[in-house]
Amino acid sequence: MGAIAPTAIPSTQPLLKAHSLSKSFGGIKAVDRAEIEVHPGSITGLIGPNGAGKTTLFNLLSNFLRPDSGRVMFNGAAIEHLQPHEIAQRGLVRTFQVARVLSKLSVMENMLLAAQNQSGEKFWNVWLNPQRTLQQERQQRELASEILTSVGLFHMAQSYAGSLSGGQRKLLEIARAMMVQPQLVLLDEPAAGVNPTLINQIGDHIRRWNQSGVTFLIIEHNMDVVMSLCDRVWVLAEGRNLASGKPSEVQQNPLVLEAYLGQ
Amino acid sequence: MEGYIVSLIIFTAIFALFGLGLNLQWGFTGLINFGHVAFMTLGAYTTVLLSLRGVPLVIAALIGAAAAALLGLLMGLTTLRLRTDYLAIVTVGIAEMIRLVAENEQWLTQGTFGIQRFPLPLANFSPNLPVRVVMILVLLGAIALGYWQLGKTLRQRMQGIPARALRQSALAALAYLVALAASLSIVSVVARQIKLTNALPAWALGLGLLLAGVAIILGFMKLAKLGATRFEQWEKGLSWVSAIAVALFGLWLTGFAVQALYDYDRNPSKTGLMWLSVLLVAVAYWALERLVRSPWGRVLKAIREDEEVAKALGKNVFGYKLQALMLGGLIAGLAGALYAWQLTVVFPVQFDPLITFNAWTIVVLGGAGSNAGTLLGATIFWGYDTLTRFGLREIIPLEDSALGAFRVMVIGLILMVLMAWRPQGILGKKEELTLGR
Ligand SMILES: Nc1ncnc2c1ncn2[C@@H]1O[C@H](COP(=O)(O)OP(=O)(O)O)[C@@H](O)[C@H]1O
Ligand SMILES: [Mg+2]
Repeated sequence: MGAIAPTAIPSTQPLLKAHSLSKSFGGIKAVDRAEIEVHPGSITGLIGPNGAGKTTLFNLLSNFLRPDSGRVMFNGAAIEHLQPHEIAQRGLVRTFQVARVLSKLSVMENMLLAAQNQSGEKFWNVWLNPQRTLQQERQQRELASEILTSVGLFHMAQSYAGSLSGGQRKLLEIARAMMVQPQLVLLDEPAAGVNPTLINQIGDHIRRWNQSGVTFLIIEHNMDVVMSLCDRVWVLAEGRNLASGKPSEVQQNPLVLEAYLGQ
Repeated sequence: MEGYIVSLIIFTAIFALFGLGLNLQWGFTGLINFGHVAFMTLGAYTTVLLSLRGVPLVIAALIGAAAAALLGLLMGLTTLRLRTDYLAIVTVGIAEMIRLVAENEQWLTQGTFGIQRFPLPLANFSPNLPVRVVMILVLLGAIALGYWQLGKTLRQRMQGIPARALRQSALAALAYLVALAASLSIVSVVARQIKLTNALPAWALGLGLLLAGVAIILGFMKLAKLGATRFEQWEKGLSWVSAIAVALFGLWLTGFAVQALYDYDRNPSKTGLMWLSVLLVAVAYWALERLVRSPWGRVLKAIREDEEVAKALGKNVFGYKLQALMLGGLIAGLAGALYAWQLTVVFPVQFDPLITFNAWTIVVLGGAGSNAGTLLGATIFWGYDTLTRFGLREIIPLEDSALGAFRVMVIGLILMVLMAWRPQGILGKKEELTLGR
């Protein structure tokens, strides 16, 4: 430990802060006393060699896996004891490394599913309060159409999500996360397996959403994407923090270079 | 005859209701419930025992349904946090446990002897002509709703397919089904001749029957595969033929139902129960259709496909699964009350695991995740049951108990043919099976 590069102490309170998170699988310490901070309004990167524990860290932050020890603070409140769905409801949404669209639902249904506080998700409201349900559904449909249009998927809205290409699925998964109207989105390798044109587009979308106030924490292997998008980068190796700082600083950090080359 | 048809309609309605409960749990939510009969048992016994102690029938049935819903809650609380296959195991266990309680707690349930002479609904009801006409109109309304929904579902499944291809495949499917029925009948007739002339010992005859059955089914599975290569819309032919057959069969049944309602006083308790059952199915169907097309239903379908995604999007997956188990249980519990009223005696053997198997057959046959399919499946199932109960005894040389087993075996074989032909069931959506991730 102790290898965290010094950076200017930001004036704002972090939106997300993980303190000394650990998780072992059998004998392997996948995440070992990891720290991370994400500041509101930022696009923060999380990089590291394969098997460094990045995805596991995402799982711990969103509580899809229970940490062995450590704390996670979101918006100033501890969340490590919450259920994954409760964390999402508070505005912290994660995506998956391998895009998980619901292929047997339409693209539009995938989007609508993500809307929060839907009265029609309580079964009694479906019978007792159909008007309100319909009206909400109409509003959500508009919002979903807007987001789909902005990412260029609107023409596919009525198709089964299973008929989308790999890149389109990645896009849909990110668009779906935006439908939650989150504060913070955790993206796990949004550019992996995506063609260069689409990578650029995804970058543009992320920047646009960021400008409208959404904070991002992004795992990414594509260094160009990291360099062009991120305000700050955290580096993980063998489950531990290796470095953190501005992208340009981190890129020149000998420890980081060694970790990547030594792989 | 009329009495039997009325009973047939009641059984069809009860199992349609029962199947709708399973379809909500399995077809829409993906919960594997191999002990569905538990809800029915609890609903039936609770209703009967309460009504014997003077509780009004409606309230007794509602408490019975509520008890079944609580059982769903219990099943869910104990298993849903574990791996998914635990639910399947625990439901089997709970169903057997409840049956054993019914068998052994004689002070409460009178054990294998069964409970008799409990109050029946509408038994002392004697409606005058205007009331009967209204009842008939309500019944016709419910049936019309069923036809409308069947038509709508069919139209959706057939969208954008040229009429010529559909006609061809429907004719091919008809020929196929007739040939299948004919082959099974011919084997039976031959077997009967052998039995009458004592040409073969009983074991050889049984073995021969079995082998012939298997050979026919294997042959027809092969034929189904062949048909798929010859006819463009081959698998849709089955939907057409069975939907039309069931529609005609349903019209024929409706005639008897109207007649029975008109002559209400001839058999008040059965006629009343028939009316009530059909009505309950219509109400449950309508309520469920609203649900599965709502945001609530969307969450269930999401859970069915990938519950991690549902969680990541802020849905309380555990809570929704509990709700599906409880609502499905509630509906099955209501079916249990009707079942008890139809049987007029309840004893544990009537709630054996075969009942669960029947519900699965109905849902799989009609198409998982399609409520209209469940109604269709229930009608086909009971149509088959009646046909073979009366028809088979004439042509198949088996004892009654063996005949029962034979009928179940044929259902199993037919399901196999169906899986080779149209695995999503008669009204199921193909995409829900074939679109991978
Ligand atoms: N569910 C699991 N069970 C056992 N080992 C796991 C599990 N998930 C991850 N690991 C292990 O933990 C380590 C970190 O994996 P991961 O977080 O996926 O790395 P990254 O996303 O940085 O490539 C790897 O050694 C991996 O094999
Ligand atoms: Mg990873």
